[in-house]
Amino acid sequence: MDLKNTIIQLAEAAGASGSEDDAAELALAMLREYCPDAAVSGGNVIGSLGVHREGRPKLVLDAHIDQVGFAVTAITDEGFIKVGNIGGLDRRLLPAQPVVIHGKSDIKGVICSVPPHLTSGSAPVPEISDIAIDTGMSKNELEQTVSLGDSITFDAACRDLLGSRITGGALDDRCGVACLLYTLELLKGQETAYNVTVIFSVQEEVGERGAKTGAFTIDPDIALAVDVSFAYAIGEDESKCGYLGGGPMIGVSPSLSREISDSLMAAAEAAEIPYQTEVMCGLTSTNADRYAVSRGGAKACTVSIPLRNMHTPVEVIDLTDVELTAKLLAEFIKEG
Amino acid sequence: MKELLKELCLIDGISGDEGAVRDYIISRVKDYCQYSVDDLGNLICFRKGRKSPKKKLMICAHMDEVGFMVTYIRSDGTLRFDCVGGIDPSVIIGRRVRVGKDRISGVIGSTAVHNLSREQREKAPSVDSLYIDIGAASKEEAEKHVFLGDCVYYDSEFTDLGEHCVKSKAIDDRAGCAIMIKLMQEKPDYDTYFVFNVQEEIGLRGSAVSSFSVAPDFAIVLEATTAADIDGVTGEKRVCELGRGPVVSFMDRRTIYDKELYKLAFDLATCQTKTMIAGGNDAGAIHISGKGVRTISVSVPCRYLHSPSSVIDMSDLISSYKLVKNLSKRIPLL
Repeated sequence: MDLKNTIIQLAEAAGASGSEDDAAELALAMLREYCPDAAVSGGNVIGSLGVHREGRPKLVLDAHIDQVGFAVTAITDEGFIKVGNIGGLDRRLLPAQPVVIHGKSDIKGVICSVPPHLTSGSAPVPEISDIAIDTGMSKNELEQTVSLGDSITFDAACRDLLGSRITGGALDDRCGVACLLYTLELLKGQETAYNVTVIFSVQEEVGERGAKTGAFTIDPDIALAVDVSFAYAIGEDESKCGYLGGGPMIGVSPSLSREISDSLMAAAEAAEIPYQTEVMCGLTSTNADRYAVSRGGAKACTVSIPLRNMHTPVEVIDLTDVELTAKLLAEFIKEG
Repeated sequence: MKELLKELCLIDGISGDEGAVRDYIISRVKDYCQYSVDDLGNLICFRKGRKSPKKKLMICAHMDEVGFMVTYIRSDGTLRFDCVGGIDPSVIIGRRVRVGKDRISGVIGSTAVHNLSREQREKAPSVDSLYIDIGAASKEEAEKHVFLGDCVYYDSEFTDLGEHCVKSKAIDDRAGCAIMIKLMQEKPDYDTYFVFNVQEEIGLRGSAVSSFSVAPDFAIVLEATTAADIDGVTGEKRVCELGRGPVVSFMDRRTIYDKELYKLAFDLATCQTKTMIAGGNDAGAIHISGKGVRTISVSVPCRYLHSPSSVIDMSDLISSYKLVKNLSKRIPLL
C-alpha cells in the first residue's frame, strides 16, 4: 500500500464527529483488504484479522475516524449559516477560514471576518455564537441543500512539505487510521500472538463515545489507542511534547497498563525502532481511557504519532513517524 | 470575465514582486496599445480611441497583492516573516502559504488550542509570535530551499460561492486589472491611458510616479474595497454591500474626491457609497500629483479584503466595468 496516498485520501474525506459516514466508508473499504469481515457496528468500523483462535488474548487496535468541525444551528434571513462547535476548536484562526458544509451536496463557504475598521486595535477572538458562514447564497437557496444539524469541516487540502512531512486537516486521527492499515500490511503472512481486532471509532472528539461502545462490543484484553499527540513547535512546552520524526510516542500513565508500556518499549528496543516516552499523570484524553475501564477492564496503552497544530486545517506530521509506529505495532503483535 | 479574474487572481505578485502579473497583463493587452514599463515596474499603456480629447484621462488599478517576506531562518528550520501590506494576523494563522521562487508549501501554525491558557485563547496572536513551517527539520535544511527576502504568497483556491459570488486571494486589486483588460480589448471612444500600478499595498508608491509620468487631467481609480455586510453588522457599519453595484466614495482616509465626478457616477448608474470614512487607495497619491488630478474611484465591494478568502459578487464586477466604460465616454468632455 502507498502509505502517503492512503493518509491523504483519508484526511481529505469528511467526518466530523457524529457525521463520519464519508470517512468511515472509505476506511471500511480499505480495511476489507485485510479483514474481510469488516463492517460498521454502531457507527464504528470493526474488522478482525485472520481467524481468531481459542486461548490467545484479544487485542484491539483503535484509531478514531472522526474529526473536529461544526454543526449548522440556524440559517439567518440574509443567508448566513450559524454554527455550534463539534470538538475543541481554536477560535483565533476562524476568521476568513474556508469551510465545506456537508448538506445534501457539499457547499463551499468562508467564515465571516470582521474588518479592522470596525474593531479598535486588535480584533477580539470571536465566540462560537458570533461565527457565521458566508456561502454567497440566499436563505432560500441554502434551504434546498442545507438542514439544521448538517456538519461542517475545514476546507483543507493536503500538501507536501520538505522531506517526509505533510500538512492537512483531519490528520488527527486519519494518520492513525492509515497507520493501522499499514500495520496490517506489515503483518500479512505473519502469525500473531493475539486475536487482533481493528476498530476505527466514532465520536472521539466529543468525549470518546464510539470507543465506549466499541470497547463493550469487542471486550478486549489489551487495547492500543493509536492517536496523535503534541509535537514540539515554537510556542509549545518542550517538556510536554514529542518531536516530529522521533518515532512513536509510547504512553506512560497511572491510567495505562505499565506492563504494556514496558512491553512496547522492549519491542521497540529489540527491533531498533526509535521511540519517545510520553508521560501523562492521569487520564490521557484518548480512547485508551475508555478501553481501560470497559466491562471488567483491559490493559490499555497509547501509541501516539507526533503532530503539530492540532485541530487546525494545517496539522503537520512526519510520514516517518507513521511508518515507525506501524512497525512497532507489528513487532509487538507478531508471534515470537 | 470570471475566467479572466480567476487567471489574474491565481498569479502570485506581492508588492515589489509584480513581474508575473505584469507579464500576464502585457500578454493580454499588447495587441491593443502602446506600452512601457517604468523604473518601479508600473505598466503604462496608451490605448488609441476613436477621438483624441483635449483633456487626458487615466484609468488605473494596482497589480500587487498583500503577502509576506521571509526575514529570518530559525535554528529549528522554521521561518520568521513580516507582512507586506496590512494583514490581520487572525486571517493568517492556520493557513497554507507558498514560499519563494519554487513555491514550496508551508503553513502558519499555532500552539495547539489544548495547550493555550484561557487568556491566550481569547487573544489574537501578534505576527511576531507566528512562524512558517516548511517541514524543514533544521536551519541547514531550510537554507537549501529558502533565502532571506523570499516572497511568501497565500495558497488559496479560486472557488465559486453560490451562483454569483467567488472566493479567492488577490481580488484586491486584480478585479480592477480585469476591468481594465476588458476595456482595453474594446476600442474606446477617446484616447485613454491605462496604468497598472505596483506597490499600492505598502503606501501608494507606484501610482505616485506613474501619475507624474502620465500627468492626466482626470483619473479613474479601480479598486476592491471593504464590505462589512456580514452577520451581526448593521446600518452604517456595513460600509457597503455586495450585490448593490459599484462603490463610489465621496471621501476616504487619503482623498476627498472630485464632487462633479462623484455626482456623474450616480447619474450614470446605480451606485452605492461608503457609509464610513475608512481606507485609502492610489487616488490618495494621484489626486495630488503634479498640479492636481480630478479623481474618482470605482470599487468592487469585497468581503474579507486582504485575507486569502476574499469574496465578491460577480454582478458588482460587471456593473463596475459598465460604469467605468460610461464614465470614460463622458469625463473627457468635461
